[in-house]
Amino acid sequence: MKNPLSYIKYPLLKAIDISGLTFLGPVVRLCYGEEPSVQMKKIGQWIFIPIIFIILFLFVWGIASEKIQTKSGALPNPTKTLQAYDSINTFAKREKLKKEAYEAHGEQREKLLTKAQERLAEIIPQAQAATELVTQEKANQKVKLASQIAPIKEEYKTSKRAFTESQKQRQTQLDHTSKKLHIGNEEQYQSFIQSVKEHQSQTETEKSTLRSIKIKIKEIENSSSKKVEKALQLQTIMAEEQQFLKKQIDQLTRDNKSLKVESEQLKIEENFTALTQVTGKEALKKAQSIVKTETRLEKTKASNYAKPSTLWFQVRRSILCVFTGFLLGSLIAIPIGILCGLSSTFMAAMTPFVAIFKPVSPIVWLPITLIIASGLIPDPDQNPLMKFLWGLPGELGEFKINPAFIASAATVALCSLWATLANTALGVASIDKDHLNVARVLKLGFWSRLFKIIIPSALPLIFAGLRISLGVGWMVLIAAELLSSSEGIGKFVWDQFNNGASDSFAKMIVVVFVVGVIGLILDRIMIIFQRMVSFEGSAATI
Amino acid sequence: MSTSLNSKFVEISHLVKEYPNPYGEDFRVIENFNLNIKQGEFISLIGHSGCGKSTVLTMLAGLNEISDGGIIVGDKEIDGPGPDRAVVFQAPCLMPWMTAYQNVMLGVKNVYPHATKSVQKQIVEHSLSIVGLSDAMKKLPNEMSGGMQQRVGIARAIALKPKMLLLDEPFGRLDSLTRMELQDVIINILAEENLTAMIVTHDVDEAVFMADRCVMMSNGPKAGVGEIMEINFPRPRNRQDVFNDPMFFRYREHLLAFLEQRSHIKGKTRLHNHEDLIGYLSSEDLKSLEAQYQD
Repeated sequence: MKNPLSYIKYPLLKAIDISGLTFLGPVVRLCYGEEPSVQMKKIGQWIFIPIIFIILFLFVWGIASEKIQTKSGALPNPTKTLQAYDSINTFAKREKLKKEAYEAHGEQREKLLTKAQERLAEIIPQAQAATELVTQEKANQKVKLASQIAPIKEEYKTSKRAFTESQKQRQTQLDHTSKKLHIGNEEQYQSFIQSVKEHQSQTETEKSTLRSIKIKIKEIENSSSKKVEKALQLQTIMAEEQQFLKKQIDQLTRDNKSLKVESEQLKIEENFTALTQVTGKEALKKAQSIVKTETRLEKTKASNYAKPSTLWFQVRRSILCVFTGFLLGSLIAIPIGILCGLSSTFMAAMTPFVAIFKPVSPIVWLPITLIIASGLIPDPDQNPLMKFLWGLPGELGEFKINPAFIASAATVALCSLWATLANTALGVASIDKDHLNVARVLKLGFWSRLFKIIIPSALPLIFAGLRISLGVGWMVLIAAELLSSSEGIGKFVWDQFNNGASDSFAKMIVVVFVVGVIGLILDRIMIIFQRMVSFEGSAATI
Repeated sequence: MSTSLNSKFVEISHLVKEYPNPYGEDFRVIENFNLNIKQGEFISLIGHSGCGKSTVLTMLAGLNEISDGGIIVGDKEIDGPGPDRAVVFQAPCLMPWMTAYQNVMLGVKNVYPHATKSVQKQIVEHSLSIVGLSDAMKKLPNEMSGGMQQRVGIARAIALKPKMLLLDEPFGRLDSLTRMELQDVIINILAEENLTAMIVTHDVDEAVFMADRCVMMSNGPKAGVGEIMEINFPRPRNRQDVFNDPMFFRYREHLLAFLEQRSHIKGKTRLHNHEDLIGYLSSEDLKSLEAQYQD
């Protein structure tokens, strides 16, 4: 009672319980000194054991990645994956800076420019040094390998010589035998065939021996040392930064928005003074050119930096897409579910549709929804809805919602609505008879019975359904985006798959974790909602 | 004229409840159940488990379909449930997502749709204060004890200003102290509001202490009214006075004896008052009674 912290103990525990982060409960209780031994045991069970297993997993992953060789290189190990994550972030950061550079004007532009130029001046010698280091390390490596390879090469030469020798010998032997053959003597001929066979198989083994020695040499030649790899990595980093700085400077100078606007305005003014000095054909030409420049000026003023999409932009777009689809699905599923729960006749009418459409895979829905969406919006640039959506302020407009987005969202809706529908129907149908009796005694009308009794009592189950739906929707969405090329996480994976850069594979592994973590967060959010609408004794208290 | 009307405020005549039996004749739970209830009278309905007490009450409430016969309440034959006959269920049946106040308001809003918000609020607050819950209006059911929940159930029923209060084993799930408290709550409400009421109970003491007439049902199937016993303790009743009255034990004995000896006798209803209580019978008397009343 003396400690003010003691007042927040139970609210804190309640918040932990509602949010579903139950593993934090023992920690809080331990901080308040409640049964330390019991809490320690729980902490061990729910915090330490998982951490140990995560470490174990990383370890196994590291080992396994060395063993699994593919055409696109080895399976990325945890370190490589982390580096890929870093490079994704760096890319996003640089794109943001470039955008800022494009929009910078006046003093700020100059400031940024000097900063970029300074940095570039700094980095050029560093990059050169890195390149030199690479050549040097490679040369070192070559020398080092040469001593390893020399004896094997020697071995190769001697065996090759020996094999040619023996082959020649066998050949002459066979020639000799062939001359001594007696016509008609089948047995002799049979044995001759036998010796030819032996000769050929002997030659084959010799060839494969030589081949395997060659492979060994190649392997050693290709085996890269850690030093070379490190030098290469440094070189790549330097080259990337150099390239970025050059682009940034471009955005600050040649491609800068304010500069472009200025130069065009200047051009118009110049042309106008020139125009006022002439008449006739010349004047018409000048006036036309002014009008042309003016329209270009308007366009430049309205233009935005053409930012290539970063993973985080795609993640946000995917989240918007999944919620659009989820909302769409829920708007269909909840009313139909309520009707199914209320009327067994309606349920009977709906059952065949549910049974048939529920198992349909997103891969089947997507092409259909894509055709319908692009049929409804044949020309997105002219469509008023699209124009409206693109004109929305902030990122909502930048998302450039297009038919592919709508098709993906519709696919999410079609695949995810079933869980909500079934759970809503169940929730409404399994309402407590006593509650209905109360409603009858109170003579509640249909609507107040629906909104005051039936829906509140079905809410926990409805939310349990919504939670499943959102999970399914998130899974479906990635596949839908991958197929529809709707800008999003799925497209990111597809681009990486087709890209084939050295870290594409690692970036795909990064996406696994990004998708997993976002799915987890979405699930947690739904759990919180579900807890909030649940009541004592309701069917879906977790 | 008015007395004759009042004496038949509720008229249950030839009531039948049958359930379909696919392999033979329909299964009759209740047959030929007749009972008239005066306005302001408190009836207790008692009988062996499964004899159909609750069935009669739920039919009177309109929650259970009437197979044959009829029930008239205040000049009108009933057709389905209605707020004129408020029910207090065995389980409190509160909406778990609503506070005590909201639970009571649910019915009030519907029964007084034209009343102003403040009037509705007054009604809700008044009925909650009658059951002693002025301080717990904002509580959710899971924050209340069973007794408190049942108080809300009672408040919800009386807030409708019903003509009749139907109590379906309302205290069956409560401990005996809480039960006594709630019995007093009900008795006080009835004294103030002059309500007609019926209580279904297993508890012999409760049946005698609370009611003006105790209706004893014969065993099912085909259960009907076996005996009716008038109880003439003055109202409002005081627990101590009633329990100290020697008559209390005679009523009690009569009731227990009915349940043990005479509940199988079906046919004509036998009427008893404080002057001709019979208690336990010798086997010969029982036989002659059987011969006289069994059909």
